[in-house]
Amino acid sequence: MKHEKLKGKDLINVGIFTAIYFVVVFAVAMLGYIPILMVLMCILVPILGGIPFMLFLTKVKRFGMIWIMSILMGLLMLLTGMGYYALLVGLITGGLAELCYKSGGYRSGAKAILTSGIFSIWVWGNYIPFFINIEKYFSTRQEFGQAYIDAMTALMPMWMCPILLASAFAGGLIGGVAGKALLKKHFVKAGIA
Amino acid sequence: MQGRILQADVERRGLVLDPRTKLLLLITMATFVLGGAGSRQMSFLPYALSLLPVILLLSARAYKAALIAAAVYILAESAFRLAGPLLSGPVYFILLGTRGILTRSLPSLMMGAYVVSTTTVSEFTAAMLRLHLSEIIIIPLSVMFRFFPTVADEFSSINAAMKMRGIALGGRHAGKIVEYRMVPLMTCSVKIGEELSAAALTRGLGGNVRRTNVCEIGFHVQDTIFAALCLLPYGALALSAAGLW
Repeated sequence: MKHEKLKGKDLINVGIFTAIYFVVVFAVAMLGYIPILMVLMCILVPILGGIPFMLFLTKVKRFGMIWIMSILMGLLMLLTGMGYYALLVGLITGGLAELCYKSGGYRSGAKAILTSGIFSIWVWGNYIPFFINIEKYFSTRQEFGQAYIDAMTALMPMWMCPILLASAFAGGLIGGVAGKALLKKHFVKAGIA
Repeated sequence: MQGRILQADVERRGLVLDPRTKLLLLITMATFVLGGAGSRQMSFLPYALSLLPVILLLSARAYKAALIAAAVYILAESAFRLAGPLLSGPVYFILLGTRGILTRSLPSLMMGAYVVSTTTVSEFTAAMLRLHLSEIIIIPLSVMFRFFPTVADEFSSINAAMKMRGIALGGRHAGKIVEYRMVPLMTCSVKIGEELSAAALTRGLGGNVRRTNVCEIGFHVQDTIFAALCLLPYGALALSAAGLW
């Protein structure tokens, strides 16, 4: 695979798939107001997001597209009030995901699933404020009510931090497998993937 | 209706603001209303800031959207204030969740709708160029900006069609909810995307030369006022972080 510069069409593809991905994430994220689902979101978002992400990967042929998508998701999280942690995490994991997919020559199916797993770790960035200082996080969110705050604090002890990271990764892998199955079932014969 | 409110309409945009001011407004809303930044003394801030999108939507003559949003906001807030202390358990969480989604997200959503419906893609691109952002960020961003209304529109149509076939929560084929929505959405988005890139390429996007832009953007009196309004909360945040307020 020759190293080529990103073309206009690639950048447009990045924009389109980031939009689809974000709509899916946003639809799932609306469930987060129920404490237990807030935790499950770390798995649900990567699984459902993995489906459009796998289709996106079939369009990736040049270095940088996955990374840009990761940064854009971070920017969108900033704009939707989730804080800047997802952007910081996404900067790193997006680059790693890019390198992983590149090592498979932008073609390998197994590497694509792994890429989906690594990419999905950005979701974990949204949870970082809980672990840094949960009292401070909720001190500005008193209107959630004490019951919600207690439930969330109980669900988020420190040892949950690595578990959430791992579950985001695992969710990304599951989403990658599911996305690949869907690609095979629908998109390959339609000539889209 | 969704499609209409999100399409840029240059004729009736009311108060002309620079896209950069709108971006600042959007970030301020996201930080202080949606993200809930700020100390305890600033708890009135979200309420004050939530007025901004209503004013702006009214100025853009989106009377219906502005009034519905304001009514829903007030309803959710007062329902929570009145009934909240009396409830407990799951019912309380449902009320809390509804109120949280409505009062936190709605103002920012309305601001987003205002920004998207009053800014053309060209103006947005011009503003991004003035901010000296790289093309590899500007192009995907402007595509997304143009594409969100389309995705949302397609998604609601697909949703309606699938509901009719019983593929919905509580329907006969609830197990197929995800697959039967994602696949058509992705298929049509990819098709639309291909057309979009063909259209963009004929306009010279992604070429090697610097593209020109006819949009006149710049800061005016109204921009100064809104920018100052946006900077106030950040100033207060800095003051309280320094322990002065």
